[in-house]
Amino acid sequence: MTAKVISGKEVAAEIRAELKKKVEELKGKGIHPGLGVILVGEDPASVSYVTSKSQGCEELGIYDELIRVPADTSEEEVLNMVEKMNNDPKFSGILVQLPLPGHIDEEKVVNAIAPEKDVDGFHPINQGLLLRGEECPLPCTAYGVQKMLMVSGNDPAGKHVVICGRSNIVGKPLAAMLMQKAEGANAICTVVHTRAHDMSYYTKQADILVAAMGVPEAIKADMVKDGAVVIDVGVNRVDDASKKSGFRLVGDVEYDAIAEKASYITPVPGGVGPMTVTMLLYNTVECAERIGKV
Amino acid sequence: MAEKLKGKAVADAMKEELTKRVEALKAKGLTPKLGIVRAGGRPDDLYYEKGATKTLGAIGVEVEVFAYPEDVDQATFEKAMTDVANNKEINGILMFSPLPKQLDEPKIRALIPVEKDVDCMTQAGAGKVFSDDVSGFPPCTPTACMDLLKFYNIPLSGKKAVVLGRSMVVGKPVAMLLLRENATVTICHSRTDNLEAVCADADILIAAVGRARMVDEKYVKAGQIVVDVGINEDPDNPGKYCGDVNTAAVEGVVEQISPVPGGVGSVTTIVLCKHTIMGCEAQNA
Repeated sequence: MTAKVISGKEVAAEIRAELKKKVEELKGKGIHPGLGVILVGEDPASVSYVTSKSQGCEELGIYDELIRVPADTSEEEVLNMVEKMNNDPKFSGILVQLPLPGHIDEEKVVNAIAPEKDVDGFHPINQGLLLRGEECPLPCTAYGVQKMLMVSGNDPAGKHVVICGRSNIVGKPLAAMLMQKAEGANAICTVVHTRAHDMSYYTKQADILVAAMGVPEAIKADMVKDGAVVIDVGVNRVDDASKKSGFRLVGDVEYDAIAEKASYITPVPGGVGPMTVTMLLYNTVECAERIGKV
Repeated sequence: MAEKLKGKAVADAMKEELTKRVEALKAKGLTPKLGIVRAGGRPDDLYYEKGATKTLGAIGVEVEVFAYPEDVDQATFEKAMTDVANNKEINGILMFSPLPKQLDEPKIRALIPVEKDVDCMTQAGAGKVFSDDVSGFPPCTPTACMDLLKFYNIPLSGKKAVVLGRSMVVGKPVAMLLLRENATVTICHSRTDNLEAVCADADILIAAVGRARMVDEKYVKAGQIVVDVGINEDPDNPGKYCGDVNTAAVEGVVEQISPVPGGVGSVTTIVLCKHTIMGCEAQNA
């Protein structure tokens, strides 16, 4: 079997096209989605993320505002900026780009964001709603994985989903989402991690395998069941002298060999990655809709 | 024949340890106190309240009940909860749920400060369970499961734990707590195909599905440890209750099993006590 490739770019483009319509529709009802982004410092990766978010907003007709402040900005100032955005109806979503410089308590800042505008889904109240299975902004990467499964016709209902990695950003939220009694969920979920005695024992059982450990090509072909759906969340840099940059990006799965036996697979790059920013935009629109209802 | 993981031994050991912690607090002039807030009085809740008052009292933890009539209005009940929330002498709050229909329960739950949320009734409390933030209290029953496993020195790290049931009272939080202890965790539920095989593959099976005696010999394997969290009306003995596990069918197969009654249930109230004491310690640190 040769796996069908689930292109994150294509799925993201589809979702964006729908979102664009949705934004127009909401504007017609007087609801204007808006994203406020706070960027502290000059970290190049953060600058690049923030730029792609702004471009996305522009493409979809979402109002966006970026506040860029130097790395030595105080915690109090950042908290004040968050508070202002909380109270400003222009913003249905607020994002503080992480990581923050060391002198700022990230948890304190994340907790200061109004939960109904927390488009990253990291606020404790939203994590609680997520675990309970109630409506809330869902963490973007996990949400993107769920969308990719649904769009590619791989509804997780009744399937055994094995998630490798238990981070608060991907592994656990995805497990919490897919175990619920809900559309796009109802799976049996196993969360496995590096402390397991034999990870392959679990991965071989997976109808849907999600690799989110952040270890380059840790999942080998002999760890995957024939016909499994393989979603690779990992983005790792490995040295490659043949590239001008000196490195190439690989995922957490051994792509070429697994593509021979899986039924579906996501590439790296171009797989889950493009979904994350799109789901952030999605959350910004969903938050606007929810706030507008009240 | 499987060894019974009895709750009483766990509860006794915890009582001894907690009594010492209360003495240490009293030496500093502090008495841990639980506030029970309720609207109406269902027989089950009154029974629980009576038991909790007695158990916590024996350890030196005070209990104050804030009882309102079943037809209490929203404003009165909100004010009651706010007063209890602001009362510095009260370290933990337990509210009987569900509230009568005229009350907006989510709004009232949200008034409980997370540091006093000893049975995980708030969203923020659930969030802390999810994100492994130990400043939050997981619900009492899943915590009792973990305390029982710990007391009997059952290793969890690297083991395969299967949680049968996905309720917010037990299944979902216990899955998070097992992950914290480095177990590999599978959550399955009544909608799962080949449910029996999935359960039988576990090293540790947590049965929390809420179906009387559903787990029989097809769900288990030799060497397995089974924790039965079910409390169901016994279909064969009206007025009695039984667990999710058909003990007679599995006790010849598995290694260890917690009985119902006399298992996890006997630890739950002690966990409520422990959380109230932890609240007192943290709030006065």
